[in-house]
Amino acid sequence: MQLAVNIVVLASIYALICCGYVLIYRVSRVVSLAHGELMLLGAYALYATASLFSGHPLVAIAVAALLAVVLGALVYVLLMRHLTGEMVLAAVLTTIALGILLRGAMVLVWGAQEQHPLHTLGWQNVALAVGPTAKVSAVGLTLVLATAAVYLGLWVFLRRTRWGIRMRAVGQNPLLAAQRGIGLHGIYALAWSLATFTGGLVGMLIASDSALDQGMVVIGLKAFPAALVGGLDSLLGTLIGALIVATAEVLLIHYVNPLLSDVVPFLVLLATLIVRPWGLRGTREELDRV
Amino acid sequence: MKRTLLLALLAWGLLGVGAAGAQEAYVIGATGAMTGPAAANFAPVLEAMKAYVDNLNAKGGVNGKPVQMLVLDDSGEPSKAAANAKKLIAQDRVLMLVSSSPSSTYAPLVVESKRAGVPLYYAGAVCPKETYPPADALQFCSTAYGATLDSQAALAFVKAQSKEPVRIGFATMAIPIARAEIEYAEQLAKTLGMTAVDTQITPPPVPDYTPFATKLKDANPNWVYSWSPWVSQVRTFEALRRLGWNGRYITWAHLNAEEELARLKDDTFYVVGTNAFFQDNLPIHAEIRATTQKAGLKYPATYLAEGFIAGLVAETALKNTSWPPTPAKVVGAMNNLKVDLKGLRGGPLEWTPDNHFRTTQYYRVWHWDSAKQAIIQIQDWQAIPVKR
Repeated sequence: MQLAVNIVVLASIYALICCGYVLIYRVSRVVSLAHGELMLLGAYALYATASLFSGHPLVAIAVAALLAVVLGALVYVLLMRHLTGEMVLAAVLTTIALGILLRGAMVLVWGAQEQHPLHTLGWQNVALAVGPTAKVSAVGLTLVLATAAVYLGLWVFLRRTRWGIRMRAVGQNPLLAAQRGIGLHGIYALAWSLATFTGGLVGMLIASDSALDQGMVVIGLKAFPAALVGGLDSLLGTLIGALIVATAEVLLIHYVNPLLSDVVPFLVLLATLIVRPWGLRGTREELDRV
Repeated sequence: MKRTLLLALLAWGLLGVGAAGAQEAYVIGATGAMTGPAAANFAPVLEAMKAYVDNLNAKGGVNGKPVQMLVLDDSGEPSKAAANAKKLIAQDRVLMLVSSSPSSTYAPLVVESKRAGVPLYYAGAVCPKETYPPADALQFCSTAYGATLDSQAALAFVKAQSKEPVRIGFATMAIPIARAEIEYAEQLAKTLGMTAVDTQITPPPVPDYTPFATKLKDANPNWVYSWSPWVSQVRTFEALRRLGWNGRYITWAHLNAEEELARLKDDTFYVVGTNAFFQDNLPIHAEIRATTQKAGLKYPATYLAEGFIAGLVAETALKNTSWPPTPAKVVGAMNNLKVDLKGLRGGPLEWTPDNHFRTTQYYRVWHWDSAKQAIIQIQDWQAIPVKR
């Protein structure tokens, strides 16, 4: 039972991280390699607001989430917008540069010291019983619920709302969408906002579950194979990919060797690439275009 | 033409004055992980050492000369460390090369240090075996933690505290130095009559430590010993507690141990270390606090003892180096060094031509006491002689 709980929590972490990669990719064909840094920035935003709104944890969380949304829009408006129409590779390289810049800026502002935003919020990460034998941390459970809510919310947004349908249209054929009067910049900015929000959210939750440190950037990249396994342009595929990678990782840690956890995501990715290079639910055409 | 000539002369003059200025100071250069994933362990050391040196200069420097300390960031990457070492030695002509970075950066530093005959001083970075007796001629170390000795101290404490048979689990991070130490500890535990039940090695970094802790808990240890970067030590412990494990946990007291004991508030979470806690309120602690405040450092004063020790060591070594200084003279001074650490450790730090680690290592153990709502020192300085 405990193994099942561990798998669900880890899969939720990977799924929530990968959500940002997929949102940006399926709309603009850009793989954001600054996603780990944006996660870290989201976590630092929570730490900053927790200190600023001491005694008002819900306000602090809401403001931090809002900051993440605004930050995503700013990244697009101030940086990525100028690369519209340029080679995709140029945009990807720009995200790498953005990541390096953000890493340096965060060390300058907050130093390299480990922080505990949950502690600053005045909350405890208590253990909750799941059945007779298993346990999950309160933040771990929040992570699972947040992932479910984000994916459900995105499904409704993309299927049922006007802006969601426009976003899908831009992802499928930006030229045609523009000719039909859809503002591409608005849609791209929205995609970056949503991706930075989900990245910031998972950053806040990981920092609350354990701690906030610079290693989070690497976690952002470690989750990337889950998105590729599922298919980089499919949210449902990402959920499946995250579940497969997490299951393999947790079982190998428990039954074979904990050291394998670092290579498991990439082993699963290699196996998927051999059998189905465009991912489990990805579009073959999209891969060819990369 | 006249103007160009004038500008050239002015530039030459300025450069000349700059070089002469540099000659009038003891110049030391440091390369460290000031940014990057490992920065939390290393950046506070160099920042504190720099603050110490600045304070020293404000008081008149060493032997009437200022100490110029250059700090370069290597982000914990070997290629950057190599470039930094080359620059510091060839261009800045430093008398001493200081490292505060992960062990993966050591190889290029050693090469550059040997090529130029400049001493390589590890401050806050793990002491390589070349600093233990019989020591390498150019490598020196004052960092608190020491391979094999730390495990000897920790497991001796476990044995002394346990009335029941000890079933011990181990947790570490997948980095060579930490894995080697835990392998040594496993063997040592067996010789001490303990049963080693499981070892968990986590890669750096991990989004969730629970899967690793689950396996460790299932092995049912009544003690767990961890020796690795703090992140792996404490998160494995917290995951174990959330899984309902009630055993005792002992681990290395890194820079942030004092703050972390107060945060965790767990009576059976022990830290073993060599640097006195600030709760001792020694005069040197007040000095560290004042210097920290003056320099406007981002880290709490409790993180900075290690950097001050490095400052004291560098000051003493340079004080024993006659003017004009050369790297060879500094090596000579470092080969016969005794530094009064003013209570920051259990005794003075001594280097001999054969021992560039220290002749005696002193350990204390602390834990949180819920009844007293305070950190309690449960074992006072225990001396372990450092031999071949």
